[in-house]
Amino acid sequence: MRTKPERQAAWLMVLPVVLVVAFSGVVPLMTVVNYSVQDILDVDTRFFVGFDWYRDALRDVRLHEALWRQLVFSFTALAIELPLGILVARCLPRQGRAASLLLVLCAIPLLVPLNVVGTIWQIFARGDIGMLGAAINGLGIDYNYTREPLHAWMTLVAMDVWHWTSLVVLLGFAGLSSIPPAYYQAADLDGAGRWQVFRHVELPHLRAVLLIAVLLRLMDSLMIYTEPFVLTGGGPGNTTTFLSQHLATIAVGQFDLGPAAAFSVIYFLLILLLCWLFHTLVVAGAERDDA
Amino acid sequence: MRASGTSCVFPTVRGSVASVQLEDVTFRYPGATADTLQTLSLVVGNGTTHALLGGSGAGKTTVLNLLSGLLQPTGGRILMDGHDIGGLPAARRNVTQVFQFPVLYPAMTVLENLCFPLRNRKWKPAAARERALAMAEELDVSPLLDRRPSTLTLFERQLVAIGRALVRPDVGLVLLDEPLTAVQPELKWRLRRALRRVQRDLGVTMVYVTHDQTEALTFAERVSVMHDGRILQTASPVDVHDEPAHEFVGYFIGSPGMNLLEARVESGMVYVAGTRVGGTVLADGDYRMGFRAQWAAVADAGLPASVRGVRYDGVVDDSPVGVLRATVADKEVYVRHAGLAPDGPMHLRVNRFILFREGWRAN
Repeated sequence: MRTKPERQAAWLMVLPVVLVVAFSGVVPLMTVVNYSVQDILDVDTRFFVGFDWYRDALRDVRLHEALWRQLVFSFTALAIELPLGILVARCLPRQGRAASLLLVLCAIPLLVPLNVVGTIWQIFARGDIGMLGAAINGLGIDYNYTREPLHAWMTLVAMDVWHWTSLVVLLGFAGLSSIPPAYYQAADLDGAGRWQVFRHVELPHLRAVLLIAVLLRLMDSLMIYTEPFVLTGGGPGNTTTFLSQHLATIAVGQFDLGPAAAFSVIYFLLILLLCWLFHTLVVAGAERDDA
Repeated sequence: MRASGTSCVFPTVRGSVASVQLEDVTFRYPGATADTLQTLSLVVGNGTTHALLGGSGAGKTTVLNLLSGLLQPTGGRILMDGHDIGGLPAARRNVTQVFQFPVLYPAMTVLENLCFPLRNRKWKPAAARERALAMAEELDVSPLLDRRPSTLTLFERQLVAIGRALVRPDVGLVLLDEPLTAVQPELKWRLRRALRRVQRDLGVTMVYVTHDQTEALTFAERVSVMHDGRILQTASPVDVHDEPAHEFVGYFIGSPGMNLLEARVESGMVYVAGTRVGGTVLADGDYRMGFRAQWAAVADAGLPASVRGVRYDGVVDDSPVGVLRATVADKEVYVRHAGLAPDGPMHLRVNRFILFREGWRAN
């Protein structure tokens, strides 16, 4: 076979992309890596400290707690949003005006800016004037999310579910709409019940979109910052302080750039690791099933 | 190689059979202003193959959905072995369906797919497995049993889908909705042969919907030609071709379709554009005369015609054979013709013809 002539000049075409990625991604990341191995006292006074900050960060009890809280929060949110989203998607009509209208209604929480979501819930859940908080208190339950850690957690999870379940609904709806009616007809003739239709017809067809939903929601919730910051500010105490907020406290609150940078790198690697694990265990596993 | 011929090759796989009868069935989609099906009557005999042939929008698939129970008739009755099954839901009728594209459960293996309808009807795993294995053997898909559908070719998938449709021994009626559509052309005949073989071995009744006349005429023992929500004719493939009961049947079936010319009957004689073409016992009046390409020949006298072109299909005895395209009274007709095309004006002798009045056959 004749090989095509190679034109080295073509590399020039890639140059703009390389430059953009370098300035938007690689350079800032390397700056952080650079900070993470130095003790910075002021602009001119800095010492190379090697991996000291990393060692400190890995031993930091408050970071461990934040990480643990983060994982519990992310997986709780996922465990509620995924089944709930699929359930809602199944209940939506497949076509017609009602379907379009309901989809638009569903999408509304996704359009609300993050800090507004936090503010809405901050007021909504207040025990004195908030509709939700006052109603719960009216039922005789002493509810106060600024004082009780459990209440704060429940409010945060409820807020995340309100905000993000729609994403799973939209993805699930798209997946369900793509199933040809013949599959339902065949299952009906084969005597399959409702659960079997879900298990053997809908779930396999939803697999691709659900993998995307899990990946998106997992990455997103691991990085959550704005909404808890507005709603609880990480409190009461540190009980709702997640990784990003802990990081912000070190970096912006205490201006400890070295430790914050080391933590950032660890945080970044952690998310990378989780996504890699998810990909190798779930996505690649699913592809292997097909082969 | 499988043993061929007799129906006792797989005594365990033998299914039950059912006759199906539609009595004056009418159907109208909710909200529609016109009937999709108009007083349709049809009898499908026990253990026979029956094709519903027609263009798109003829109502073929609606008939299929009425039989499967997906739709309920607006009027009339549907009988299976003499029992009215009108109100029964799909799962309680002993009916299965093979779809245009292979419908399999993607997360199950081929064996699990084959067992699924049986397991849903409370079969013991061992018995279901035995039956599924026999069905796999019947369809020559035994080597695929542990594979998942996504790893199979479309042809293999459709074979498995046919197997799943036929695996229940209590199934009396199998509906096939253009089952060869998804398969590559060169494999269509293999799938059709497999279907025929299974039908013969199991003796089930099959109703086969298609728009492809070759499929219908080669697959089924009886063919119903549908048009515009009505069955125009139900007959054997040969009769549908040679004895069309309606102009549309004559024109729709055959390649080329039947030639149709305006004709007039006067005291026992048939005239086309003033030329006498034959005799008839029909009353005087205007008719339409239909004749197939092979029922007419170029002659020295007869209908005046002019040659427009010729399509040669091959050579027989050193002489080209083909179809002649000519015009008679400004209408285009096709005539089988051996030899080179004659030049200029010529005449056609029509050896056999059918007269239609208001669409329907009159003689």
